[in-house]
Amino acid sequence: MERDILHSAFILHRRPYSNTSLLLELFTPRLGRLPALAKGVLGGKRNNSAALQPFQPLLVRLAGRGEVRVLAVGEADGEALPLKARGLYCGFYLNELLMRLLGRDDPHPRLYQHYFEALGALSRGIDELEPVLRRFEIALLRELGYQPEFDRLADGSAPDPQGRYAYRLEEGLAPAQLHDPGAVSGRTLQALCGEVDFGDHERREARRLMRGILSHYLGGRPLKSRELFQSRIGNK
Amino acid sequence: MAERPLLGQLIDALKCLPGVGPKSAQRMAFHLLERDREGGRKLARVLDEAMERVGHCNMCRTLTEAELCRLCSNPKRDPATLCVVETPADVMAVEQAAGYRGLYFVLNGRLSPIDGVGPRELGLDLLERRLADGKVEEVILATNTTVEGEATAHYISEMAHASKVRVTRIAYGIPLGGELGYVDGGTLSHAIAGRREM
Ligand SMILES: [Zn+2]
Repeated sequence: MERDILHSAFILHRRPYSNTSLLLELFTPRLGRLPALAKGVLGGKRNNSAALQPFQPLLVRLAGRGEVRVLAVGEADGEALPLKARGLYCGFYLNELLMRLLGRDDPHPRLYQHYFEALGALSRGIDELEPVLRRFEIALLRELGYQPEFDRLADGSAPDPQGRYAYRLEEGLAPAQLHDPGAVSGRTLQALCGEVDFGDHERREARRLMRGILSHYLGGRPLKSRELFQSRIGNK
Repeated sequence: MAERPLLGQLIDALKCLPGVGPKSAQRMAFHLLERDREGGRKLARVLDEAMERVGHCNMCRTLTEAELCRLCSNPKRDPATLCVVETPADVMAVEQAAGYRGLYFVLNGRLSPIDGVGPRELGLDLLERRLADGKVEEVILATNTTVEGEATAHYISEMAHASKVRVTRIAYGIPLGGELGYVDGGTLSHAIAGRREM
Protein backbone atom coordinates (compact mmCIF):
# COMPACT_ATOMS: atom_id res chain seq x y z
CA MET A 1 0.00 0.00 0.00
CA GLU A 2 1.25 3.45 -0.94
CA ARG A 3 0.31 4.80 2.47
CA ASP A 4 2.48 2.28 4.30
CA ILE A 5 5.66 3.37 2.59
CA LEU A 6 8.16 5.36 4.60
CA HIS A 7 9.87 8.03 2.53
CA SER A 8 13.08 9.85 3.26
CA ALA A 9 12.37 13.54 3.05
CA PHE A 10 13.63 17.06 3.68
CA ILE A 11 11.44 20.07 4.29
CA LEU A 12 12.20 22.80 1.78
CA HIS A 13 9.69 25.24 3.20
CA ARG A 14 6.99 25.37 5.83
CA ARG A 15 4.35 27.81 6.87
CA PRO A 16 1.59 27.86 9.46
CA TYR A 17 -1.75 26.60 8.24
CA SER A 18 -4.57 27.38 10.64
CA ASN A 19 -3.50 27.69 14.27
CA THR A 20 -2.14 24.27 14.85
CA SER A 21 -1.00 22.88 11.51
CA LEU A 22 1.93 23.38 9.17
CA LEU A 23 1.85 23.30 5.40
CA LEU A 24 5.12 21.68 4.34
CA GLU A 25 6.85 21.52 1.02
CA LEU A 26 8.69 18.19 1.03
CA PHE A 27 11.54 16.95 -1.13
CA THR A 28 11.74 13.16 -1.39
CA PRO A 29 13.75 10.80 -3.61
CA ARG A 30 10.85 8.90 -5.12
CA LEU A 31 8.05 11.48 -5.18
CA GLY A 32 10.08 14.59 -5.89
CA ARG A 33 8.79 17.84 -4.45
CA LEU A 34 5.28 17.84 -3.02
CA PRO A 35 3.11 19.67 -0.48
CA ALA A 36 1.95 17.95 2.70
CA LEU A 37 -0.14 19.08 5.64
CA ALA A 38 1.16 18.35 9.15
CA LYS A 39 -1.95 18.54 11.30
CA GLY A 40 -1.99 19.57 14.95
CA VAL A 41 1.76 19.92 15.39
CA LEU A 42 1.87 23.55 16.56
CA GLY A 43 1.20 24.96 19.98
CA GLY A 44 -0.34 23.39 23.02
CA LYS A 45 1.60 21.14 25.35
CA ARG A 46 2.72 18.78 22.64
CA ASN A 47 4.69 21.02 20.34
CA ASN A 48 5.74 18.45 17.76
CA SER A 49 7.02 20.93 15.24
CA ALA A 50 10.66 20.90 16.37
CA ALA A 51 11.66 18.00 14.10
CA LEU A 52 9.71 19.46 11.20
CA GLN A 53 12.40 21.93 10.21
CA PRO A 54 14.49 22.40 7.09
CA PHE A 55 17.84 20.52 7.00
CA GLN A 56 16.52 17.76 9.27
CA PRO A 57 16.51 14.34 7.56
CA LEU A 58 13.03 12.92 8.04
CA LEU A 59 11.15 9.71 7.58
CA VAL A 60 7.58 10.45 6.53
CA ARG A 61 4.49 8.46 5.81
CA LEU A 62 1.95 10.21 3.62
CA ALA A 63 -1.79 9.70 3.55
CA GLY A 64 -4.55 11.17 1.42
CA ARG A 65 -4.97 11.33 -2.29
CA GLY A 66 -5.55 15.00 -3.05
CA GLU A 67 -2.99 17.43 -4.33
CA VAL A 68 -1.94 18.11 -0.75
CA ARG A 69 -1.10 14.92 1.14
CA VAL A 70 -1.44 14.55 4.87
CA LEU A 71 1.61 13.79 6.94
CA ALA A 72 0.65 10.61 8.81
CA VAL A 73 4.10 10.15 10.32
CA GLY A 74 6.98 12.59 10.30
CA GLU A 75 9.96 11.83 12.47
CA ALA A 76 13.64 12.66 12.59
CA ASP A 77 15.88 10.24 10.69
CA GLY A 78 19.14 10.99 12.47
CA GLU A 79 20.52 14.31 13.61
CA ALA A 80 19.66 17.57 11.87
CA LEU A 81 22.49 18.75 9.63
CA PRO A 82 23.99 21.46 11.81
CA LEU A 83 24.21 24.36 9.40
CA LYS A 84 25.79 27.40 10.98
CA ALA A 85 26.30 31.01 10.03
CA ARG A 86 26.76 31.39 6.28
CA GLY A 87 26.18 27.67 5.86
CA LEU A 88 22.57 28.39 6.81
CA TYR A 89 22.29 31.01 4.08
CA CYS A 90 23.65 28.42 1.64
CA GLY A 91 21.03 25.92 2.80
CA PHE A 92 18.28 28.48 2.21
CA TYR A 93 19.78 29.13 -1.21
CA LEU A 94 19.62 25.43 -2.16
CA ASN A 95 16.02 25.24 -0.96
CA GLU A 96 15.03 28.32 -2.92
CA LEU A 97 16.68 26.91 -6.05
CA LEU A 98 14.66 23.69 -5.70
CA MET A 99 11.43 25.56 -5.00
CA ARG A 100 11.94 27.74 -8.06
CA LEU A 101 13.34 25.30 -10.62
CA LEU A 102 12.07 21.85 -9.71
CA GLY A 103 8.40 21.28 -10.50
CA ARG A 104 6.14 19.34 -8.18
CA ASP A 105 5.79 15.56 -8.53
CA ASP A 106 8.86 15.26 -10.72
CA PRO A 107 11.08 12.68 -8.97
CA HIS A 108 14.87 12.95 -9.23
CA PRO A 109 16.45 10.44 -6.83
CA ARG A 110 19.98 11.43 -7.87
CA LEU A 111 19.24 15.09 -7.26
CA TYR A 112 18.03 14.18 -3.78
CA GLN A 113 21.36 12.49 -3.20
CA HIS A 114 23.22 15.58 -4.44
CA TYR A 115 21.13 17.72 -2.10
CA PHE A 116 21.87 15.45 0.87
CA GLU A 117 25.58 15.51 0.10
CA ALA A 118 25.61 19.29 -0.38
CA LEU A 119 23.93 19.81 3.02
CA GLY A 120 26.44 17.41 4.55
CA ALA A 121 29.35 19.35 3.07
CA LEU A 122 27.86 22.68 4.22
CA SER A 123 27.30 21.37 7.74
CA ARG A 124 30.80 19.98 8.21
CA GLY A 125 32.01 23.57 8.02
CA ILE A 126 35.41 22.52 6.66
CA ASP A 127 34.60 22.58 2.96
CA GLU A 128 34.49 25.92 1.27
CA LEU A 129 30.88 26.93 0.77
CA GLU A 130 30.89 28.28 -2.77
CA PRO A 131 32.22 25.17 -4.58
CA VAL A 132 29.47 23.18 -2.85
CA LEU A 133 26.86 25.57 -4.26
CA ARG A 134 28.38 25.45 -7.75
CA ARG A 135 28.43 21.63 -7.77
CA PHE A 136 24.78 21.54 -6.72
CA GLU A 137 23.75 24.13 -9.32
CA ILE A 138 25.36 22.06 -12.07
CA ALA A 139 23.80 18.83 -10.78
CA LEU A 140 20.39 20.52 -10.67
CA LEU A 141 20.64 21.86 -14.21
CA ARG A 142 21.80 18.48 -15.53
CA GLU A 143 18.96 16.65 -13.77
CA LEU A 144 16.46 19.09 -15.26
CA GLY A 145 17.88 18.29 -18.69
CA TYR A 146 19.65 21.58 -19.40
CA GLN A 147 23.07 19.91 -19.80
CA PRO A 148 25.53 22.72 -19.25
CA GLU A 149 28.87 21.37 -20.53
CA PHE A 150 32.04 22.92 -19.18
CA ASP A 151 34.58 20.29 -20.22
CA ARG A 152 34.40 20.92 -23.95
CA LEU A 153 33.62 23.73 -26.36
CA ALA A 154 30.67 23.82 -28.73
CA ASP A 155 32.96 22.54 -31.52
CA GLY A 156 33.97 19.54 -29.41
CA SER A 157 37.50 20.64 -28.57
CA ALA A 158 38.85 20.87 -25.02
CA PRO A 159 39.24 24.30 -23.41
CA ASP A 160 42.77 25.55 -22.78
CA PRO A 161 43.37 26.47 -19.11
CA GLN A 162 44.97 29.72 -20.25
CA GLY A 163 42.16 30.63 -22.68
CA ARG A 164 39.10 32.84 -22.18
CA TYR A 165 35.64 31.53 -23.01
CA ALA A 166 32.10 32.80 -23.27
CA TYR A 167 29.05 30.65 -22.58
CA ARG A 168 25.94 31.01 -24.73
CA LEU A 169 22.71 29.32 -23.77
CA GLU A 170 21.69 26.49 -26.05
CA GLU A 171 25.05 26.71 -27.81
CA GLY A 172 27.73 26.18 -25.20
CA LEU A 173 31.25 27.46 -24.90
CA ALA A 174 33.22 29.34 -27.51
CA PRO A 175 36.45 31.38 -27.40
CA ALA A 176 35.59 34.83 -26.02
CA GLN A 177 35.88 38.12 -27.81
CA LEU A 178 38.58 40.38 -26.41
CA HIS A 179 37.30 42.21 -23.29
CA ASP A 180 34.06 40.21 -23.09
CA PRO A 181 32.98 41.03 -19.50
CA GLY A 182 31.12 37.71 -19.21
CA ALA A 183 34.09 35.56 -20.22
CA VAL A 184 35.69 33.03 -17.88
CA SER A 185 39.08 31.38 -17.90
CA GLY A 186 39.71 27.78 -18.92
CA ARG A 187 40.90 27.18 -15.39
CA THR A 188 37.50 28.25 -13.99
CA LEU A 189 35.86 25.71 -16.32
CA GLN A 190 38.24 23.04 -15.01
CA ALA A 191 37.31 23.98 -11.45
CA LEU A 192 33.62 23.66 -12.28
CA CYS A 193 34.34 20.17 -13.63
CA GLY A 194 36.13 19.32 -10.39
CA GLU A 195 39.51 18.89 -12.10
CA VAL A 196 41.30 21.64 -10.17
CA ASP A 197 40.56 23.52 -6.95
CA PHE A 198 38.88 26.90 -6.92
CA GLY A 199 41.09 29.91 -6.24
CA ASP A 200 39.57 33.31 -5.47
CA HIS A 201 39.61 34.27 -9.11
CA GLU A 202 37.92 31.03 -10.26
CA ARG A 203 35.35 31.35 -7.48
CA ARG A 204 34.34 34.82 -8.61
CA GLU A 205 34.16 33.84 -12.28
CA ALA A 206 32.25 30.65 -11.57
CA ARG A 207 29.72 32.54 -9.44
CA ARG A 208 29.14 35.08 -12.21
CA LEU A 209 28.88 32.40 -14.91
CA MET A 210 26.41 30.24 -12.99
CA ARG A 211 24.35 33.25 -11.93
CA GLY A 212 23.98 34.23 -15.59
CA ILE A 213 22.95 30.72 -16.64
CA LEU A 214 20.51 30.30 -13.74
CA SER A 215 18.90 33.69 -14.25
CA HIS A 216 17.78 32.51 -17.67
CA TYR A 217 15.89 29.58 -16.16
CA LEU A 218 14.64 31.64 -13.23
CA GLY A 219 12.88 33.97 -15.64
CA GLY A 220 14.28 37.26 -14.46
CA ARG A 221 13.09 37.22 -10.84
CA PRO A 222 16.31 36.94 -8.82
CA LEU A 223 16.78 34.58 -5.90
CA LYS A 224 15.90 36.27 -2.63
CA SER A 225 18.45 34.29 -0.62
CA ARG A 226 21.28 36.02 -2.51
CA GLU A 227 20.50 39.12 -0.43
CA LEU A 228 21.71 37.31 2.68
CA PHE A 229 25.23 37.08 1.33
CA GLN A 230 25.47 40.87 1.06
CA SER A 231 25.83 41.59 4.73
CA ARG A 232 25.75 45.39 4.40
CA ILE A 233 22.25 46.39 3.39
CA GLY A 234 23.40 49.76 2.12
CA ASN A 235 25.53 48.46 -0.75
CA LYS A 236 23.15 46.52 -2.93
CA MET B 1 -28.92 41.28 -4.87
CA ALA B 2 -30.16 41.96 -1.37
CA GLU B 3 -27.63 42.72 1.38
CA ARG B 4 -26.81 39.64 3.46
CA PRO B 5 -28.46 39.66 6.90
CA LEU B 6 -26.27 41.45 9.44
CA LEU B 7 -26.21 38.44 11.75
CA GLY B 8 -24.65 36.32 9.03
CA GLN B 9 -22.13 39.05 8.26
CA LEU B 10 -21.16 39.31 11.93
CA ILE B 11 -20.64 35.55 12.25
CA ASP B 12 -18.55 35.58 9.10
CA ALA B 13 -16.46 38.52 10.27
CA LEU B 14 -15.71 36.86 13.63
CA LYS B 15 -14.17 33.90 11.82
CA CYS B 16 -11.12 36.03 11.02
CA LEU B 17 -10.03 35.61 14.65
CA PRO B 18 -7.42 32.90 15.26
CA GLY B 19 -8.88 29.64 16.50
CA VAL B 20 -12.45 30.74 15.75
CA GLY B 21 -14.40 28.45 13.45
CA PRO B 22 -18.06 28.72 12.36
CA LYS B 23 -19.42 27.25 15.63
CA SER B 24 -17.55 29.54 18.00
CA ALA B 25 -18.21 32.54 15.74
CA GLN B 26 -21.92 31.82 16.01
CA ARG B 27 -21.68 31.48 19.79
CA MET B 28 -19.84 34.80 20.07
CA ALA B 29 -22.33 36.61 17.87
CA PHE B 30 -25.31 35.33 19.87
CA HIS B 31 -23.59 36.14 23.13
CA LEU B 32 -22.97 39.75 22.14
CA LEU B 33 -26.44 40.29 20.68
CA GLU B 34 -28.41 38.57 23.42
CA ARG B 35 -26.36 39.19 26.56
CA ASP B 36 -23.82 41.94 26.14
CA ARG B 37 -24.65 44.67 23.65
CA GLU B 38 -22.67 47.21 25.68
CA GLY B 39 -19.57 44.99 25.54
CA GLY B 40 -20.15 44.51 21.83
CA ARG B 41 -20.37 48.28 21.23
CA LYS B 42 -17.20 48.86 23.19
CA LEU B 43 -15.43 46.11 21.24
CA ALA B 44 -16.55 47.66 17.97
CA ARG B 45 -15.35 51.13 18.99
CA VAL B 46 -11.96 50.00 20.27
CA LEU B 47 -11.43 47.61 17.38
CA ASP B 48 -12.19 50.31 14.85
CA GLU B 49 -9.93 52.81 16.54
CA ALA B 50 -7.09 50.32 16.97
CA MET B 51 -7.27 49.26 13.32
CA GLU B 52 -7.21 52.92 12.31
CA ARG B 53 -4.50 54.21 14.60
CA VAL B 54 -2.11 51.48 15.75
CA GLY B 55 1.06 51.49 13.69
CA HIS B 56 4.72 50.75 14.33
CA CYS B 57 7.07 52.53 16.72
CA ASN B 58 9.62 54.64 14.84
CA MET B 59 12.44 53.32 16.98
CA CYS B 60 11.72 49.66 17.65
CA ARG B 61 8.89 48.85 15.21
CA THR B 62 6.64 47.31 17.83
CA LEU B 63 2.91 48.03 17.69
CA THR B 64 1.85 51.42 19.07
CA GLU B 65 -0.39 54.35 18.16
CA ALA B 66 2.33 56.81 19.18
CA GLU B 67 5.45 57.87 17.30
CA LEU B 68 7.47 56.20 20.03
CA CYS B 69 6.18 53.28 22.08
CA ARG B 70 6.05 53.40 25.89
CA LEU B 71 9.26 51.41 26.22
CA CYS B 72 11.31 53.50 23.81
CA SER B 73 10.10 56.75 25.43
CA ASN B 74 10.73 55.54 28.99
CA PRO B 75 13.89 57.31 30.30
CA LYS B 76 14.41 54.56 32.93
CA ARG B 77 15.12 51.95 30.24
CA ASP B 78 18.77 51.35 29.40
CA PRO B 79 19.44 52.46 25.81
CA ALA B 80 22.79 50.67 25.73
CA THR B 81 21.16 47.23 25.59
CA LEU B 82 18.97 46.22 22.69
CA CYS B 83 16.98 42.99 22.58
CA VAL B 84 16.01 41.84 19.08
CA VAL B 85 12.83 39.76 18.85
CA GLU B 86 10.65 38.47 16.04
CA THR B 87 7.23 39.73 17.13
CA PRO B 88 5.51 42.29 19.39
CA ALA B 89 4.18 39.29 21.34
CA ASP B 90 7.80 38.33 22.09
CA VAL B 91 8.34 41.81 23.60
CA MET B 92 5.44 41.13 25.95
CA ALA B 93 6.78 37.66 26.74
CA VAL B 94 10.22 39.00 27.70
CA GLU B 95 8.71 41.96 29.60
CA GLN B 96 6.51 39.70 31.69
CA ALA B 97 9.19 37.14 32.39
CA ALA B 98 12.68 38.36 32.50
CA GLY B 99 13.30 41.53 34.50
CA TYR B 100 14.98 42.98 31.44
CA ARG B 101 15.68 46.74 31.59
CA GLY B 102 16.97 47.52 28.10
CA LEU B 103 15.17 48.40 24.88
CA TYR B 104 13.86 46.27 22.00
CA PHE B 105 13.92 46.00 18.27
CA VAL B 106 11.02 44.08 16.71
CA LEU B 107 11.62 42.42 13.35
CA ASN B 108 7.97 41.56 12.70
CA GLY B 109 9.18 38.36 11.04
CA ARG B 110 12.37 36.43 10.39
CA LEU B 111 14.59 35.95 7.36
CA SER B 112 12.79 33.59 5.01
CA PRO B 113 13.90 34.03 1.40
CA ILE B 114 11.33 31.66 -0.09
CA ASP B 115 8.59 33.82 1.46
CA GLY B 116 10.23 36.90 -0.01
CA VAL B 117 11.47 38.09 3.39
CA GLY B 118 15.01 39.43 3.19
CA PRO B 119 16.96 41.91 5.35
CA ARG B 120 15.11 44.98 4.10
CA GLU B 121 11.66 43.51 4.73
CA LEU B 122 12.64 43.12 8.39
CA GLY B 123 13.70 46.75 8.69
CA LEU B 124 17.32 45.72 9.20
CA ASP B 125 18.48 48.87 7.44
CA LEU B 126 16.86 50.77 10.32
CA LEU B 127 18.57 48.50 12.84
CA GLU B 128 21.89 48.90 11.04
CA ARG B 129 21.69 52.69 11.34
CA ARG B 130 20.78 52.37 14.99
CA LEU B 131 23.78 50.15 15.68
CA ALA B 132 26.04 52.52 13.78
CA ASP B 133 25.10 55.58 15.86
CA GLY B 134 27.12 54.31 18.82
CA LYS B 135 24.53 54.37 21.65
CA VAL B 136 23.95 50.62 21.70
CA GLU B 137 26.68 48.64 23.47
CA GLU B 138 25.11 45.19 23.43
CA VAL B 139 22.62 43.46 21.17
CA ILE B 140 20.78 40.47 22.64
CA LEU B 141 19.50 38.21 19.90
CA ALA B 142 16.23 36.69 21.08
CA THR B 143 14.97 35.33 17.79
CA ASN B 144 13.42 31.87 17.80
CA THR B 145 15.67 28.81 17.69
CA THR B 146 14.18 27.72 14.37
CA VAL B 147 16.58 27.66 11.39
CA GLU B 148 15.04 30.92 10.17
CA GLY B 149 15.54 32.48 13.61
CA GLU B 150 19.17 31.28 13.69
CA ALA B 151 19.88 32.69 10.23
CA THR B 152 18.33 35.99 11.28
CA ALA B 153 20.46 36.05 14.44
CA HIS B 154 23.59 35.38 12.44
CA TYR B 155 22.82 38.12 9.93
CA ILE B 156 22.28 40.67 12.70
CA SER B 157 25.41 39.52 14.51
CA GLU B 158 27.45 40.24 11.37
CA MET B 159 25.89 43.72 11.22
CA ALA B 160 26.62 44.35 14.89
CA HIS B 161 30.22 43.15 14.63
CA ALA B 162 30.70 45.58 11.74
CA SER B 163 29.59 48.38 14.10
CA LYS B 164 31.77 47.01 16.94
CA VAL B 165 28.71 46.27 19.07
CA ARG B 166 28.84 43.34 21.48
CA VAL B 167 26.49 40.52 20.46
CA THR B 168 24.90 37.91 22.68
CA ARG B 169 22.37 35.20 21.87
CA ILE B 170 19.80 33.88 24.31
CA ALA B 171 20.93 30.39 25.05
CA TYR B 172 19.68 27.51 27.11
CA GLY B 173 16.13 26.99 28.13
CA ILE B 174 14.48 27.46 24.78
CA PRO B 175 13.70 24.06 23.22
CA LEU B 176 15.17 23.50 19.77
CA GLY B 177 12.64 24.49 17.17
CA GLY B 178 10.76 26.33 19.89
CA GLU B 179 8.88 29.58 19.58
CA LEU B 180 9.08 32.15 22.37
CA GLY B 181 5.32 32.47 22.65
CA TYR B 182 5.04 28.90 23.90
CA VAL B 183 7.77 29.06 26.53
CA ASP B 184 7.00 29.57 30.22
CA GLY B 185 8.34 32.61 32.07
CA GLY B 186 10.92 30.80 34.20
CA THR B 187 12.50 29.18 31.17
CA LEU B 188 12.63 32.51 29.42
CA SER B 189 14.32 34.19 32.42
CA HIS B 190 17.01 31.52 32.36
CA ALA B 191 17.47 31.97 28.66
CA ILE B 192 18.00 35.71 29.05
CA ALA B 193 20.36 35.26 32.03
CA GLY B 194 22.39 32.62 30.19
CA ARG B 195 22.87 34.47 26.91
CA ARG B 196 26.26 34.05 25.25
CA GLU B 197 28.67 35.83 22.95
CA MET B 198 28.12 35.26 19.25
ZN1 LIG C 1 9.54 51.48 20.50
